[in-house]
Amino acid sequence: MNRKKFITKSGIALGGGILAPYILPSGRLFAKSGSQKADHVVLVMFAGGVRQQESILGRYLEDSQGVFGAAGNIMPNLFEGDAPTKKIAYGTDVPGMPDGSEPIPKLLSQSMEKSGLLFPEVKAQSAGHYVGLNTLLTGNVGYSQGLKVRPAYPTIFEYLRKHAGFKATDTWFIANGIGNSTPLLNSSNHKDYGLNYGANMFAAPVTFSSYGKEILGNSKTYSRTDLEPMYFMKNFLDQSFALTKDQITSISNTDEEKTRIKDFIKSVFEKQQAGQLAAPPVSNSGDAKNVMYAAEVLREFKPKMLAVNISGVDSCHSNFTGYLKSLHRADHITGWLWQYIQNNIPEMSGNTIMIVAPECGRNETPNPILDQNDWVSYDHSDANAHRVWSVMLGKGVPNLRIGAATQPVGRLTDITPTIADIFGILDPVTNAGLIDPLAKSLYNRI
Amino acid sequence: MHNLNKFLGMILFICLYGSCKKQQHIGFGLENANVYEDKSRKTKKKNDAEYISILYTNLYQSPISPNQLYKTQNVLYSIGDQDVASEMLLSNYFNTGSIQMPTNILMRQDIESFVTNTYKRFYLRYPSEGEKAFFKQYITKNSAVSVEMVYTAFATSDEYQYY
Repeated sequence: MNRKKFITKSGIALGGGILAPYILPSGRLFAKSGSQKADHVVLVMFAGGVRQQESILGRYLEDSQGVFGAAGNIMPNLFEGDAPTKKIAYGTDVPGMPDGSEPIPKLLSQSMEKSGLLFPEVKAQSAGHYVGLNTLLTGNVGYSQGLKVRPAYPTIFEYLRKHAGFKATDTWFIANGIGNSTPLLNSSNHKDYGLNYGANMFAAPVTFSSYGKEILGNSKTYSRTDLEPMYFMKNFLDQSFALTKDQITSISNTDEEKTRIKDFIKSVFEKQQAGQLAAPPVSNSGDAKNVMYAAEVLREFKPKMLAVNISGVDSCHSNFTGYLKSLHRADHITGWLWQYIQNNIPEMSGNTIMIVAPECGRNETPNPILDQNDWVSYDHSDANAHRVWSVMLGKGVPNLRIGAATQPVGRLTDITPTIADIFGILDPVTNAGLIDPLAKSLYNRI
Repeated sequence: MHNLNKFLGMILFICLYGSCKKQQHIGFGLENANVYEDKSRKTKKKNDAEYISILYTNLYQSPISPNQLYKTQNVLYSIGDQDVASEMLLSNYFNTGSIQMPTNILMRQDIESFVTNTYKRFYLRYPSEGEKAFFKQYITKNSAVSVEMVYTAFATSDEYQYY
């Protein structure tokens, strides 16, 4: 071999050796920017609009309704603080006692605040639900985000699939219904990302409803031998039609992933029928049902990233008592989900980080609507609605409290870069230039 | 006077005869011609309601009820991967057993006609020679391929989502 050929071939071999480890299954070359901090992330979108006063500040009825001596913490799984002792209306009903007088016992031996990283005063970029949810998932302020359309900027699911090479079933969004544009949050319509990189999604209370069962539950279980020719013929037809990128309207899984999802749906219906679905001790709310289905998805797919949305607290527009009950239950089911992961999914236990954050706060001043206890209600539109908190716990997360009511630290747009940081892709996500320029990984806020 | 009357009578006769024409029968009609879709012109995506209604009518040869349509629409919308949702919906339909479709024996008796009819039924167009050859060869070679499998492939295909 002459010298020129030798140098050329050696150069190619050396280049290939360096680059090959970074060529992802998606075919994308990426610059690895950091070490991975955990294998799984669960984001609880503690949505519906949560006031600081009744959550992190533990003020119960003292600030909201002016009941003197009625302060206390009604979220014992998330935060530290003694429970209220006066006018208890947020618990479960006990015969012969006033409604809601029995608080749900705390599930976690140690609150998330005590075992994780708490940012008690965070700035929300929006006072609205959908833009707030967008903020959590895209890391963008979303000021121009419209309703009934997919996010304008890439979601964390797309960043992870594109830059970390995750497959579709590695990323899940569990929506709490099909209203308010929620089911569109599994992917943006951004030209460089979009549905090709979107997450799998169930609007679980609909998919697994009684009519979901009627429409999907009686489907045949095809064997692999049956499915192969079907997919082979379908792939031929699809290639012949050749959709362009902008015509794609659904995320896509591999044939194997599709089969797994179908089997999963059927198995959930079977478990429902047999009463075998794992459930929190108090599971009589829509949010609880949604979290139950999220737990099923976690157990089956062990996804790298799952986001689950809850929103029962939004009843605060017209029913403050209902809001308090929902807040207490949201704490209960979030604690249960964390406990479920630790106790029932060995592959994820000790190797998962959970992040919990509301999408927006609620007003300081009430509207005039009174509920059954003559308590006033609250909307979300003033400066107080831009005050929220965030908690993160799990593998390697330090136990710290950063910031205070008078000293806000962090923005809701931090959640996306934080997840990117956990999976070691913070640089490509930041360099894409599509997140809030003020957003930071929470690790960099410490 | 008599001659004048005769003369006037003749004039009247000639006028009446000359003013009448034989009635002409003109008929208009259309020649039978089949109009089919062109694959390249299918650019509009069916919305969920259209897809479900067309699929249901295609398979059952009867329209879907508004209530059933509403429920089906919601359930399909609640699943991220629309292929998964459509495949499960179809498979649920096939399990009802009342779908109007040819038997497997009939399919194998004349595969070419079956393929042409399937293209017309689902895509409203004729198959190209290449498409026809692919299916003819694939069905002939694979004895396990059933009508249900072929229908599932067509009903969940991208082209069926467009018009």
